Amino acid sequence: MDVGRHPNIRLLTYSKVESIKGYVGNFQVEVLKKARYVDENQCTACGDCAKVCPVVVPDEYQQGLSSRKAIYIPFAQAVPSASLIDMNSCLGTNPIACGKCADKCDKKCIDYDAKDEKIEFKVGTVIVATGMDVFDPTSLEEYGYTKYENVVTSMEFERLLSAGGPSDGHFIRPTDRQRPKTVGFIQCVGSRCEKIGRPYCSNICCMNTIKDTLLLKDHYPDIQAKVFYIDIRAFGKGFEDLFKRSKEAGVHYVRGIPGEITEDPQTRNLKVLVEDTTSNKIEEHEFDMMVLSVGVTPRLDMPEVQQLLTLSKTPDGFFMEAHPKLKPVDAPSIGIYFAGCAEAPKDVKDSVTQASAAAARAETLLSAGKVKLEAITSTLNTDLCHYCASCAKVCPYGAFTVDPKKKTISYVEALCKGCGTCAAECRFGALTMKHFTDEQLITQIDAHLAEKPNEKVIVFACNWCSYAGADTCGGARLQYPPNQRLIRTMCSGRVDEKFILHAFKKGAPMVVVSGCHYVDCHYIDANRWTQKRVEKLWDKFDRWGIRPERLLLEWISAAEGQRFQKTMQDIEQLRKKVTKEEIEHTIKVLTEEEERTKKKK
Amino acid sequence: MAEVEERDFKCLRCSAVFKLTYTKGVMQERQCPKCGSNSVRIEKKQEKTSAPDTGKTG
Repeated sequence: MDVGRHPNIRLLTYSKVESIKGYVGNFQVEVLKKARYVDENQCTACGDCAKVCPVVVPDEYQQGLSSRKAIYIPFAQAVPSASLIDMNSCLGTNPIACGKCADKCDKKCIDYDAKDEKIEFKVGTVIVATGMDVFDPTSLEEYGYTKYENVVTSMEFERLLSAGGPSDGHFIRPTDRQRPKTVGFIQCVGSRCEKIGRPYCSNICCMNTIKDTLLLKDHYPDIQAKVFYIDIRAFGKGFEDLFKRSKEAGVHYVRGIPGEITEDPQTRNLKVLVEDTTSNKIEEHEFDMMVLSVGVTPRLDMPEVQQLLTLSKTPDGFFMEAHPKLKPVDAPSIGIYFAGCAEAPKDVKDSVTQASAAAARAETLLSAGKVKLEAITSTLNTDLCHYCASCAKVCPYGAFTVDPKKKTISYVEALCKGCGTCAAECRFGALTMKHFTDEQLITQIDAHLAEKPNEKVIVFACNWCSYAGADTCGGARLQYPPNQRLIRTMCSGRVDEKFILHAFKKGAPMVVVSGCHYVDCHYIDANRWTQKRVEKLWDKFDRWGIRPERLLLEWISAAEGQRFQKTMQDIEQLRKKVTKEEIEHTIKVLTEEEERTKKKK
Repeated sequence: MAEVEERDFKCLRCSAVFKLTYTKGVMQERQCPKCGSNSVRIEKKQEKTSAPDTGKTG
């Protein structure tokens, strides 16, 4: 409500962001404001139009448990408090098939000719607060959701208990519209389950159920409630107290998840068989009604938002933050922030905390008026560019726009974070990484292999993880072979194929490319290109008769000092197996290959 | 939906051969279950084996 009235906030409801172009301080946003067919400034939300509307459709807000009209206000607290016409349900406006709502409206605010409107504006920062969906348990046949009417989800239960709900706050079970005497809750439906590809905890369901049981007991003390759980995660402030209150109110908690719900066809009661893991006994319970405590899932339209802003996702499907501990509100691209369940499942309190942090981060940036950018960025020499667009393909931040047909390239340096993947992929030398140029890195390789190259191992280590992992290893006094030579790059994505081949040509028996684990990559997904590059090289090595085992790829995080040590020890054993003849053969093959490539050019 | 299949992979560090899920076109972080290395390569059984280097590998 406050947001709707705030003089500095422009609220665009019933709208869709069509495109976002640009970068921090200069985002160009295009929004499609859908036609409401009702003038939201004139509408007084009297509801007279809805009363005369003959169309009845399921009410989404009430989880389909009651109905709404084709002209409706989505829910009581909706902002703006104005009606809109659902044109998919309306009988038709061209020609006008009914027109009853327009006839009834005294303020004459219904306009059947309203059109969708495109709005364009500039913003300096973007906060992604696209929310979440809830898991649909229909696919879990063992729980009989939609098969047995008295099995409802926690969302449906919430509406059934609400004063503004479909039964006006009178708690009834769907089959006989009588007040149930026994209610069972099953936790972790669609959460913490590898089998259905949802291994994560949804964070909110335990406390939601505890709150629901307290509400139930508060309204109807005689109702018996039982909760089936794996473990109760009441970790927040005051949560344990709430859990205790629920138990004191008489709610029975059973540690075990029922395998199946069956229905008694006569009574329509529901039976569950469960192993109580605290007593190791199999128990049978019968309920008038069962509530499935459904988990949180990423929104279905997340890929669209991801594409709009070039965002990255975690394996769970939620948006990935720049750093889980140090930048939990920031997206990897500067000027984009997250609030709420778009980033991970979280409750209201955490969502408000994150939203406040996101607003503060955005405000800090905007009030400063300027931003500090990375000093280590790529530089483009357009004279050497062949407009092949490989840079645009690999850049995790969308800093390049290339039109191969028109032979144009645009590079926004402000978007570059300095992973160097573009420089590694560019076959024409058009891109150079500041402070990590080809010459600088090749000079390092030469220096490391200047003496006794066959005894050295060249290790390319990314700044954030592997190099820091080596530091952790050293800091913990963990010893690793002294003949390994680390070359730091900001990201493993910077490790060009030619650096690896150069090291082998200089007589290196082994080369290791190491970087962050997939989820830790500081440059969204730049290390995927590292893997692709190394895999391609393995294939080339096969063709050239070089053992691919001499080129290794290792993901080592900053905390994995021991892993770094073990990896380096193993590699030293492999190095010892590489013979002089093998190295000489490699040098010969690579020199011939280089000459062949030169001739081709 | 991308097709998920189980394929043979070989670890280049310890030579272990094992099965992992594989989805064409999807990059995955893979790890050898024996030594923990990420130098894990899909086995190409149909293809000819690589030509020997010098025949001497230590």
